[in-house]
Amino acid sequence: MTRSRTPRPRADSRPRTAARTAVCTAAALAAALTACSAPGESDDDTKASSGPIKVAVVNAQSGQLSSLGDWEYKGAKLAIDEWNEKGGIDGRKIQVKLFDDQGDPTTGTNIARRLVSEKYIAMIGTAESAVTIAMGPVLQQAKIPNITSGQSDGLVALKSPYLFLNGPTSTTYDSTLAEHLVKDKGYKKIAMITNNGSFGKGEHDAFLKAVKELGVTPSTDQVVTTDQKEFSAALTKIRSTKPEVIFIGSEEVEAGLIVKQARDLGITAPFAGAAPQGTPVFIDTAGKAAVEDTIVSSPYLSNDTSAASKKFAAAYEAAYGKEAELHGAKAYDGANILLTALRTSNGASGEELADAIRDTRYKGLLGDFRYDESGVGITKTTIGVIRDGELVPQR
Amino acid sequence: MQETLQTLVGGLSLGAVYALVAMGFSLVYRTMGLVNFAHADIAMIGAYAASTFYLTSKLPFAVAMVVAIAVTAAIGLVIERVLRPLENKDFDLMLIGTIGFGIVLQAVAILIWGTTGRAVRSPVRSAPLDLFGVRVRTYDLLVMAVAALAVLGLAWFLARTKRGAAMQAVAMDHEAATAVGIDVGRSNALAFSIGAGLAALAGGLVGPMLYVDASLGGALGIKGFAAAMLGGFGSIPGAVVGGLAIGVLDSYAAGHFQGYSVLVTFLVFTAAIMIRPMGVFGERTVSRA
Repeated sequence: MTRSRTPRPRADSRPRTAARTAVCTAAALAAALTACSAPGESDDDTKASSGPIKVAVVNAQSGQLSSLGDWEYKGAKLAIDEWNEKGGIDGRKIQVKLFDDQGDPTTGTNIARRLVSEKYIAMIGTAESAVTIAMGPVLQQAKIPNITSGQSDGLVALKSPYLFLNGPTSTTYDSTLAEHLVKDKGYKKIAMITNNGSFGKGEHDAFLKAVKELGVTPSTDQVVTTDQKEFSAALTKIRSTKPEVIFIGSEEVEAGLIVKQARDLGITAPFAGAAPQGTPVFIDTAGKAAVEDTIVSSPYLSNDTSAASKKFAAAYEAAYGKEAELHGAKAYDGANILLTALRTSNGASGEELADAIRDTRYKGLLGDFRYDESGVGITKTTIGVIRDGELVPQR
Repeated sequence: MQETLQTLVGGLSLGAVYALVAMGFSLVYRTMGLVNFAHADIAMIGAYAASTFYLTSKLPFAVAMVVAIAVTAAIGLVIERVLRPLENKDFDLMLIGTIGFGIVLQAVAILIWGTTGRAVRSPVRSAPLDLFGVRVRTYDLLVMAVAALAVLGLAWFLARTKRGAAMQAVAMDHEAATAVGIDVGRSNALAFSIGAGLAALAGGLVGPMLYVDASLGGALGIKGFAAAMLGGFGSIPGAVVGGLAIGVLDSYAAGHFQGYSVLVTFLVFTAAIMIRPMGVFGERTVSRA
């Protein structure tokens, strides 16, 4: 390279300058764009504004994760509709728009740029940690607070002051679960099966760390891919170690298929997992008989645990004609926290809104939210068991 | 040993489904020289239709399957009819047309059945068989038997019936076939509808094994397409061998390479295609463009 360049410095230097100019222009343009569109920096975006408050919900509405996205949207929409019925915030309506990220991080980042340019004040979602992590830097730069339904510890590692979780992290879910399995149940032989997606990887690391701290090494640690459909190789290995319980770290549908196939292979040990294992999609996919005795670590076990959850479930049923579950409840809590922060800050945006969210103390369906610097507001889950196709609290 | 056999059994059942998908790809390619990219999504529609007639209309599983096959065969006819004016004129546009139909079918599925998808319960209630510690699901046996019947039926149709022979003739030389009075359009329509029917058979059968939603086509299509390539695109026995090979390969890769199994499957597939670009049963390619 260098040798060919020396004899002809002129011919070579011209295109390089042109390229540099182009890069500079692009950078300047990008800077100008973000500067213009960052909410809270121009006058008409701050409290003085009287128009509707624009809030975006981003969640998968198509693809294998669409049921998750659908629950999240329904929960968030319910909260926003309730606030609007009560007159909104300072007389301003909350205008909500749904974006479909298809569970895909690239689509997510494109949506993030749209949120910036269309001056959304805050974002609710997504349920997919990988998508949220992909969107994070863009939203942080534009100072748009984001209340996510993701639970991966990677969200905390992002260290964005504009990112808040509406539920516990994988570490919380899985250390509670590991403690229950090892200390309360006395299980020593625990097999693991997780997928290599962002959720599964998070679950894998968090659970493995938790059981090792309790002095237990898993009998086998099987990793599958997110689009795998056939699990006999992994399940046969698990069967040969004769585990007392099998930890599963995978989303609803795949986890359902794993459990279904495990039962067909004659594995009788109960499964144990986090949020996805408490959902109707998991139970339907595997079949009611197959999921009996599944141990679930979840901050929201059923609609009957408290007066607040009963009220929420009734409103959800009235609005959508469907039974409420964890993900709707999470998004409902998240949306309520955002709206409460908007009220206490008189409809502020940007940094002020993020600070208001951090200061919000909220008694939600999932527990008492108190945000720390990492953006995590809740650090407790409870243990439930599936009996007759229903998730019930562990007695 | 037990583990190896169990992995083999698991791979064969899904492999049988991939073989059915590959057969549909191959049949249309063989007759028209066209890769029908909507094929996987037709399989998805077939899976949805079968599950709807089975679960919602409470028809017996076999009847639901037959109705689903009829529905997708009709869809196949429609696609062929729309593409027919392009035949021998703009081949690329025909290819893009099939991609377009795939997208339309996915959108239609979401419109009709929503985004959530559904779990289909197995129509066979008996417990898995236990052969020396290897558990074989009775439903998997059913799938393999139906797939085998479909292969034999298609082979018989192509070799022994007049219409089948006409389709073969069109595949070899469509101008000569036209000259001897074979209706090429009708032959193509037949190929498309049989291909679509096979897709529904694959989709309907895989429903109780997996989960039916609008993205099912993606899961079946890539493996089915790879199976058709591996066996030799256009070859019916090749589709069967390719399907089973991909199913088993996938299953073993999952066992040995865990999280990297997809990568390994497709690396092996790529290597195989590089060594034998025409596939195992590679015939000369049909080129109508």
